[in-house]
Amino acid sequence: MLIPNSETDAAYVIRNAAADNKPLSICGADTRGFARLNKPAEPISSRGLSGIVDYDPAEMVMTVKSGTPVSEVEAALAANRQMMAFEPMDHRGILGNKGEPTIGGVFAANVSGPRRLIAGAARDSLLGIRFVNGRGEIIRAGGRVMKNVTGLDLVKLLAGSQGTLGFLTEVTFRVLPVPPMTETIVISGLDDETAAKAMAAAIALPVEISGAAHLPQTVRSRFIDGVLPEGEATVLRLEGLTASVDVRSQKLAAVMGAFGPVGKLGMENSLMLWRQIRDVAPYADGTEKPLWRVSVAPSAGYHLVSALRLEAGIDAFYDWQGGLVWMRMEADPEAELLRRYIRALGGGHATLIRASEAGRPQIPTFEPLPDAIAALSARIKAKLDPAGIFSPGKLG
Amino acid sequence: MQTSFTPEQLEDPHVAESEKILRRCVHCGFCTATCPTYLTLGNELDSPRGRIYLIKDMLENGRAADEQVVTHIDRCLSCLSCVTTCPSGVDYMHLVDHARVHIENTYRRPLADRLVRGLLAAVLPYPARFRTALTLAKFGRPFAPLLKQVKALRPLAAMLDLAPQAAAAPQSSVLRGAQPVLGIRRGRVAILSGCAQSVLDPGINLATVRLLARFGVEVVVPEGEGCCGALVHHMGREDEALGFARRNVDVWMREIDNKGLDAIIITASGCGTTIKDYGHMLRLDPDYAEKAAKVSALASDITEYLTTLDLPRQEPKRLNVAYHSACSMQHGQKITVAPKLLLKNAGFTVRDPAEGHLCCGSAGTYNILQPEISSELKARKVKNIEATKPDVIATGNIGCMTQIGSGTAIPIVHTVELLDWAYGGEKPGKLKG
Amino acid sequence: MPEAIQFLLPRPEVLARRSIIIDDLCGLLPADCVIHEARELVPFETDAFVSYRRMPLAVVLPRTTSQVAAVMKYCHRNSIPVVPRGAGTSLSGGAIPQEDAVVLGLSRMARIIEIDYANRTATVQAGVTNLSISEAVGIDGFFYAPDPSSQLACTIGGNIGMNSGGAHCLKYGVTTNNLLGVKLVLVDGEVIEIGGKHLDAAGYDLLGLVCGSEGQLGIVTEATVRLIAKPEGARPVLFGFETSEEAGACVADIIASGIIPVAIEFMDKPAIEICEAFAKAGYPLDVGALLIVEVEGSEAEMDAMLENIVGIARRHAVLTVRECQSATEAALIWKGRKSAFGATGRIADYICMDGTVPLSKLSYVLKQTSEIIDRFGLRVANVFHAGDGNMHPLILFNANDPEEAMKAEEAGNEILKLCVDAGGCLTGEHGVGIEKRDLMRHQYTDAELAQQMAVRAAFDEDWILNPSKVFPLEGRG
Repeated sequence: MLIPNSETDAAYVIRNAAADNKPLSICGADTRGFARLNKPAEPISSRGLSGIVDYDPAEMVMTVKSGTPVSEVEAALAANRQMMAFEPMDHRGILGNKGEPTIGGVFAANVSGPRRLIAGAARDSLLGIRFVNGRGEIIRAGGRVMKNVTGLDLVKLLAGSQGTLGFLTEVTFRVLPVPPMTETIVISGLDDETAAKAMAAAIALPVEISGAAHLPQTVRSRFIDGVLPEGEATVLRLEGLTASVDVRSQKLAAVMGAFGPVGKLGMENSLMLWRQIRDVAPYADGTEKPLWRVSVAPSAGYHLVSALRLEAGIDAFYDWQGGLVWMRMEADPEAELLRRYIRALGGGHATLIRASEAGRPQIPTFEPLPDAIAALSARIKAKLDPAGIFSPGKLG
Repeated sequence: MQTSFTPEQLEDPHVAESEKILRRCVHCGFCTATCPTYLTLGNELDSPRGRIYLIKDMLENGRAADEQVVTHIDRCLSCLSCVTTCPSGVDYMHLVDHARVHIENTYRRPLADRLVRGLLAAVLPYPARFRTALTLAKFGRPFAPLLKQVKALRPLAAMLDLAPQAAAAPQSSVLRGAQPVLGIRRGRVAILSGCAQSVLDPGINLATVRLLARFGVEVVVPEGEGCCGALVHHMGREDEALGFARRNVDVWMREIDNKGLDAIIITASGCGTTIKDYGHMLRLDPDYAEKAAKVSALASDITEYLTTLDLPRQEPKRLNVAYHSACSMQHGQKITVAPKLLLKNAGFTVRDPAEGHLCCGSAGTYNILQPEISSELKARKVKNIEATKPDVIATGNIGCMTQIGSGTAIPIVHTVELLDWAYGGEKPGKLKG
Repeated sequence: MPEAIQFLLPRPEVLARRSIIIDDLCGLLPADCVIHEARELVPFETDAFVSYRRMPLAVVLPRTTSQVAAVMKYCHRNSIPVVPRGAGTSLSGGAIPQEDAVVLGLSRMARIIEIDYANRTATVQAGVTNLSISEAVGIDGFFYAPDPSSQLACTIGGNIGMNSGGAHCLKYGVTTNNLLGVKLVLVDGEVIEIGGKHLDAAGYDLLGLVCGSEGQLGIVTEATVRLIAKPEGARPVLFGFETSEEAGACVADIIASGIIPVAIEFMDKPAIEICEAFAKAGYPLDVGALLIVEVEGSEAEMDAMLENIVGIARRHAVLTVRECQSATEAALIWKGRKSAFGATGRIADYICMDGTVPLSKLSYVLKQTSEIIDRFGLRVANVFHAGDGNMHPLILFNANDPEEAMKAEEAGNEILKLCVDAGGCLTGEHGVGIEKRDLMRHQYTDAELAQQMAVRAAFDEDWILNPSKVFPLEGRG
């Protein structure tokens, strides 16, 4: 494992690897390393590049080295009552590993949580980066201001590129104040289809919902120690100033009453619930059962699940108003079936987050791309990583 | 924006004025968004900014107008929606006026075009000729489909299409001289009889006179006034337009000097825009500049004038009125609130159709000269009006009444006809039965 | 006219074949979709960056994606540059053509294809104007968030090209944060679809890359955008200050307090006077600088937020606080603000800067800006999105005075360099275009520019698409 302890060091290592045509597998702490490469590669970790470079809470912008532990970033933000609005999930539970996730990994994998619905993904908060490209050159992109259209947006390109385009050394991102109050409205007993309608209706109201998830009967009891009311739970999160949340939750509850019995969770349970939704707690089950993360149009989520149910053993719950489906398969991943249905339902993508080693190699981890986009993506990769040394084959 | 005129060019006061107008334009493009022809055709050449640029290029180079420039200037409705939108205050109206005169002076139109325009200019401004023409049109109507086959003759077909809806009214209903007042006299105004409106719908001015009389306003129709000149003005026939203007100025000045006038009331907003511009049109004529300015200052749309009378609030009528603001009303004269307030005050429920800023396609002789674009705009306008599910459509311009009326079964009346009814007059004929 | 900024030399082989090319284009598209007469080409020679002008070879106005594809395929095969154009409202010259280029105008692709409330998306053709989306969904309680000041006229295609922002981006983000999918015609005419109604498209973030690429990566013909539920209420409040510095410091303190209003807009005295003259919105004329702070939500929420903001403003010796009393008044306040650039035309020609700086540097940069302007003997009006540090000094000059025009450009360059040196960037939302192209080296190293150009080349190896823009002409390799 290569662990450069400076950006210059990293550039040097990469330059040499490129010259020797030696593949490198870019990682942080490898807590999200679910995708496989198609040839052996030496791991190169960012964990030697650690520490907060600049954080001015008044500007709500933070710059950190890429190998900085997420926990350190979160602690520094919490001390100033701030947060990463996109609430990145922690993959350790579902993947059963123990490392210390890095901030670079969050952005390299574009990891977002329930608030993605209104606050955008990790890539939306990312303002600037420094990275080493496949030639071993140090490249800056973006900056530290929110509005910036100076040249091509390589920041977005690198975000979510899974370490296949460059080795991130530093990230600058926008942060937001932690809302003083969080409340959750629970509507009980809705089937998936009605829940999708309820969530769509809720989000059309002027109450600023910051989370909308549906937890069917099979998973409901596995959240917050089973204190959610009986039956399926459709949960809607409200955040903000206490007085404002009170008013909005009353309004929301009044409208949602038309769909089913309505309850409230209170602050503490709300915080726990949404963290567990974020981290996919029901499927942090210590198994190797195949786990899919599926992104489709919100109105397509329940169609997808009900169609698949007829052909395979699955368990699922929904975030992002129904558009993010977490799906655990009882046996086979059923990749082809799943992806065929996604295409039939208007498109989207499925990522195989977890699978047994035996089942994996035949299945593309990430959604295979249409030919034209795959060709374009390959050309882009060649421009950043001409020798093709970064995480070869990882994106398929 | 930058301009390049030589000092010699700028000696021409018309060029100098246009240069000043052009200098104000910053080419921001906002005007394109509210231009009816740009929305219809999707070509910047048929937008205000495109036309401004075409005019600039033509004038800077001191060039005669050519087919391309004429095509795009001809397509301009002169609705002046762009003037309302323009943040920089570009006086597009006078720029395009100048361009039209330049075209008329330097460009020889194809024969058919010349004939049609000559016919319009020779007929429409003259009520007697217009009345005769409408009668003849009945006989010509069967030929309309035939005329449509030939592109150059389509304006004639459009004319015939418009004519049937507008049977000429009997000559007896034409107003003359001073009209009596009921009760205490509160004011004295002249009313423009004008041209086409007096033939197509004399009821409008009759309703106006009745309404004003009821509120103590004496109305005179001075001998000798006539067409305001707008029709020929928009064709670039400046000498004719100024002739009409001078004649009307003379007539009204006589009245002003004689018994005095509080206002010159106009019931067709298209005419109002032009009469309010007499001061500008005749600014270079030392004999008329001052008088014309005085006339322009006195010119007042009927709704503008009515707001000064404090009409009493009336009981609600349960009648939905879609108010269509003529372009000359809202963009030309910037009268936007008064007509609707008057109607509401008189007890009507007023509905605002969507895209109210867009022209209905009437635009003087536009529906005859540009029938394709005009009918697209008419359809769009009618759709928006009908969406408000009105019982009646009210507007303040005879051109719009004819245009919209030819596209919908919903009755369309002049605002003042509804007001006359609300304040004791008869129910407008179109609403009976 | 100032000629500091160069264009690429026209390709002689293209110029030589002009009439053949026009014949071919007329064969590819219906006759009314090709403009080639010299007279008719003139109005397309510039956009809202009107100091620079170049005649195009021809203009095409296709009505369908397949027509766009046919044009691209032809131009690519024949190495003819293509300059995409939406409404031509670019303030950086993004749509200015060149002599050997075909202007590809999207103004006829102006149809809203689908509104899907269940998924909160609108799918529209690229020529649809920004405002018309909000107008179409407003009646049902939704809106499209990015609101560039030119939203009345500018198109979604152009917004994507420049990653447009606007006043309300402080809360809702810019175009890239509200874009879900595009139909993109690649340089060779191939049509691809990126994203859709789902979030976070698979593979590389091509959507993010295309957004803000200034028409250099492909032609967007359709877009799917996010709709947002309208807040219960919104209230702009006017805060008048003695000086610009004081107003700037107040902005920084509002943000630092953890309150994020929907918008914080700044106007200095000249800007206030210009906007008031057009909109008659009732801006205070007796102050040195004005903030328009908009909060939204329920009455109670707005009251609570405003109480905090007023408290902060008081600490900065605010002179006047005026809450707007009606929707009409609010509309006028925004009309004035959004028409600021155009309204400036009433008093002078202008060029509009677009640098963004960290909030903590706002006061400093404002001060330095006025020093630069003084040094050049020019005048400036400042009106901009203060909440996110996106500055718009409008440098006033007389376009008929070449010397002064030159000075204005030089002063502008100094101001932009100042923004970069203060930790900001050259352009926040107007794009690089030609205007800031030659300053790119001030912000990026050669390797960084080379990397961006390499990525560009993955889409367009031969510099067919909008080739004179964004990247300095020297050292393109």
